[in-house]
Amino acid sequence: MNVAMVKRLILKDWYLQRVPIIGSLIAGALALSVILFGGKPGFILGLILLVTVLIGVGAQLAVATMVFERKEQTLPFVMSLPISYKEYTASKILGNLIIFLILWLALLGGSFGVLAISPDKPFGLIPFVAIMATEILVSTCLIYTVALITEHQGWAIGAIITGNLALNGIGYYVAHIGSIAKGMEGHSIQWSPAASTILAAEFLIIVLMLGLTFLFQSRKKDFI
Amino acid sequence: MHSDLVISQSDGRPMYLQIMEQIKQRVAVGEWARGDEIPSIRQLAVALRVSVITVKRAYLELEREGVIVTQHGKGSMVAPDPDLSPRLYEQELAEHIDQAARLGTLLGLRTEELTSRLKRAAQRLIKEHV
Amino acid sequence: MNSISVRFEGVSKHYPHFTLDNIGFELPTGSILGFIGPNGAGKSTTIRILMGLIHQDQGAVHVLGRSMPAEQAAAKMDIGFVSEDMRLYAAATVGWHMEFIQSIYPRWDQSYAASLLQRFDLKPQQRIRGLSHGQRVKAALLLALARRPRLLVLDEPTTGLDPVARQEVLGELMAVLADEERTILFSSHNTLDVEQISDQIVFIDRGRIIDADDKESFLDRWRRLRLVLSQDAVLPRFSGIVDVAGSGLLPVLTTNCFEPRMISECQEMGATVQAVDTMTLEEIFVANVQSRRGGKLV
Repeated sequence: MNVAMVKRLILKDWYLQRVPIIGSLIAGALALSVILFGGKPGFILGLILLVTVLIGVGAQLAVATMVFERKEQTLPFVMSLPISYKEYTASKILGNLIIFLILWLALLGGSFGVLAISPDKPFGLIPFVAIMATEILVSTCLIYTVALITEHQGWAIGAIITGNLALNGIGYYVAHIGSIAKGMEGHSIQWSPAASTILAAEFLIIVLMLGLTFLFQSRKKDFI
Repeated sequence: MHSDLVISQSDGRPMYLQIMEQIKQRVAVGEWARGDEIPSIRQLAVALRVSVITVKRAYLELEREGVIVTQHGKGSMVAPDPDLSPRLYEQELAEHIDQAARLGTLLGLRTEELTSRLKRAAQRLIKEHV
Repeated sequence: MNSISVRFEGVSKHYPHFTLDNIGFELPTGSILGFIGPNGAGKSTTIRILMGLIHQDQGAVHVLGRSMPAEQAAAKMDIGFVSEDMRLYAAATVGWHMEFIQSIYPRWDQSYAASLLQRFDLKPQQRIRGLSHGQRVKAALLLALARRPRLLVLDEPTTGLDPVARQEVLGELMAVLADEERTILFSSHNTLDVEQISDQIVFIDRGRIIDADDKESFLDRWRRLRLVLSQDAVLPRFSGIVDVAGSGLLPVLTTNCFEPRMISECQEMGATVQAVDTMTLEEIFVANVQSRRGGKLV
């Protein structure tokens, strides 16, 4: 794996997508400050804003960098560079993931931060927040997997919609799991086995999806 | 120097013959003097925008005819004693005469008629040049 | 140093509606190979396999001594590629692309790039989006040429260019060949370009190589014989007659293995040879394809 080439490809994509990237980072910073300093109404508002920016830019960036190379016919140009599918796939995943994680960590940090400074000390919410935040990460990785393997706008949009629906569905489901629901009201962090299992499963799914992506890419016989 | 050669795309003859003829002309009029270095095959190909293989063929034929000499590793140059004049247009003349004979037969001309026509054409040419 | 820059052996690729079948050829270092074929013949597919963009189903491909597609990353370090269906990034500028390429390839020649910019009439600040088709082709060529790659692979490099731009491009391609360690492979259905600068020519039609030879041999082998038959003469038959056209008494034979003795043979059989015409590569190309599709030649 040619790390120097991966880095150049990532920087290339960031340059070409600099407007949405910078826009999302600014919006993310704004949302974070609203969360931290906006009091109770600010928390909800800022959170919604941040999640929207996160999901929105995650999807937009993925489609722009992974699907449009084929659509805009720049794929032959990129693949004529001294790289193989490995560098291409790695650069697309990392390029997207790094930006995403910056915003995601802001979300996580903001949420935990507010919980920490809140006088109620609603630490019981932490497992739920962790699970939901990780769920957002899972659905974004799903978009990456589908977008890279299919290079098809329709399938990518399908993955985006599926991810969003899953987010709502899983959110509802997890909030009603007995052991987790009980702990949400409390003032201490209670990692029930159910919560730990779910969290572990989410990370496992992420690793599997990314691994699957590389496997599929290695088997591709037609790169254009 | 070598950009003086001008290749015509619409000339029906093979390109290597055009190249040969123009080189022989340059030698005949003295622009490329005996013993002078001439462009390498690749240099001429690049200057003329013509395949290397075509220039190579032209050079091989020219060497065979004694017009140029190629020394391995040193390049090519005009032969010290280029045997030019008879061969310059010899082959072309032979081809044209064959062609005239064929056409004459087609037209049903007798040999004497053909020869007298040739005489008249040659005489016309002399008159024009006077 | 390799004396063969590109080698294809028994390469095949199967698609639902098209098969590339048993492609084999060699390209010696320091020469230019021109691929000619009708649209859909398989030129682009062959070139993509050469670049590792498509993987062959069978057969071996070696480019600059490296096996494709396994060693494609290393091979592509020395290959400059421009294809007709390739696009640069519309939102970025010519200058950005130049810097991008320069950051990747150590052999980038900035002074050469600058002179190409001038000759191709391009400016670094121009956005790709605002360029005409011809300018885009020239921009892509500039990026490939300024790196001074050992092998240039071009798919339809002059298609869509005006005659002046075409000659400029052909001139730049020939300039590459001034270095005998550098090689060019290009495909075109513009036979004039192929005829002008190619050393080797390969004909492709319907996924198969139907003829391959060096340019001079091609032009030497193909002739049109215009005959005049006397009333009782029989049409001469030799091997290598690809086509018989014209009328009964004035046949025109097209042959792909001409020898001077054919003239005397014709005359012995009672046919007068009115003319022996050379053929342009375009005429050879069309005659080749038509006769094979018509089943006259195998």
